[in-house]
Amino acid sequence: MGRILIVDDTLFMRTLLKNILFSGGHDIVGEAADGDEAITKYQELKPDLVTMDVVMPKVNGIEALKGIRTFDPNARVVMCTAVGQEQMVKLAIKTGARGYIVKPFQAPKVLEEIKNVLGS
Amino acid sequence: MPVVPVKIQKDGKWEVTKIDLQQDAMMIAEPFGKTIPFKSIVDLEEKKNLLLITLKSDPPVVLKVASVEKVLQALKRVIIMSCNAYRLSAYFMSPAVRGGVMVTNAAWEKGAIAVLKSSIWFVSQNKQVSVGLKEVTGMELTKREVQNKQVDVVKLDHMENTDVVTSYVLCPLSTLQILLNFLKDTTKDLDMGENELDPLSSQVGMLIYSGMDSHAIENMLNISHGEIDKIYDRLLKIGLVEIVYTRREVQLTPKGVRFITEAVKPPT
Repeated sequence: MGRILIVDDTLFMRTLLKNILFSGGHDIVGEAADGDEAITKYQELKPDLVTMDVVMPKVNGIEALKGIRTFDPNARVVMCTAVGQEQMVKLAIKTGARGYIVKPFQAPKVLEEIKNVLGS
Repeated sequence: MPVVPVKIQKDGKWEVTKIDLQQDAMMIAEPFGKTIPFKSIVDLEEKKNLLLITLKSDPPVVLKVASVEKVLQALKRVIIMSCNAYRLSAYFMSPAVRGGVMVTNAAWEKGAIAVLKSSIWFVSQNKQVSVGLKEVTGMELTKREVQNKQVDVVKLDHMENTDVVTSYVLCPLSTLQILLNFLKDTTKDLDMGENELDPLSSQVGMLIYSGMDSHAIENMLNISHGEIDKIYDRLLKIGLVEIVYTRREVQLTPKGVRFITEAVKPPT
């Protein structure tokens, strides 16, 4: 089970992910509401995995992914985006994302993906 | 053409027989002794390891065929490509997304799409995917990058058991339009119509989609049991949800209280 940092600008989505990941036995070590905060929290908490929203104010998810990967090239980041923004997938994967989740999502599949990425 | 071993249901009993797949028909050996022209097959459904083959007649006859996976695959491919259906050459990717998670090894398959009475089949050399028309939850014409080019595709959301799955179809735009219009027409009873949901009910809906139970929803949204019950009633009324089971809340009777009190006393 992993120590996870949840990054999303909406409280609702963070709470949902927190519930899903907690039910899967993961430890939620922190939350961030934008990309800037995500980079700071990553450096501070050094989580095993980050779930990263793509569209966020200030620094977006792709930029935050780049920032985190500069600090830790082995960072495991799973991107999370809304339906219709799937064109970001290639960019995110190219930037080093390990997985991609499209909202809305189903808990068992999310847990499966997190487990796969943590095991990779 | 191959002869394949199968079991076919007859009067509620499974009979061992063989099917000879010919150019235009399939011949079922004894005790059936029947030749079925492919063009008389109007529907094909897959349920676990069974194929349900519907023949054109009044009332329609449904053949239940069981066999090993490899045989069923061969049967499906031949029937889908020869039966009475609307077929089009296309590329498809199914599944591309499952439960919100991108399928990492998803790839475009070259093949065909067959539209039958109750389902759409994606068929390629190695793959046959059936999407029940009643399982289609959404469709749209969108763009997707294929070999560094933005191309038109139909994005199809559908249920596969309890998973929400997204598949893509790629073919000429005019054909995509036909497919899209057909799907829209077939699934128009799933439209919301005049019904609208307030933000809280939408959030409850989203949490149900994600697999949260009532207790988790109450805690996450900080709402009471009574409030969630009212929202469920609204969702039930407009057909967005169905009751899976009713959970009971109980409290101890005096007999129960005595039992528990006694049970926790240290042994004497």
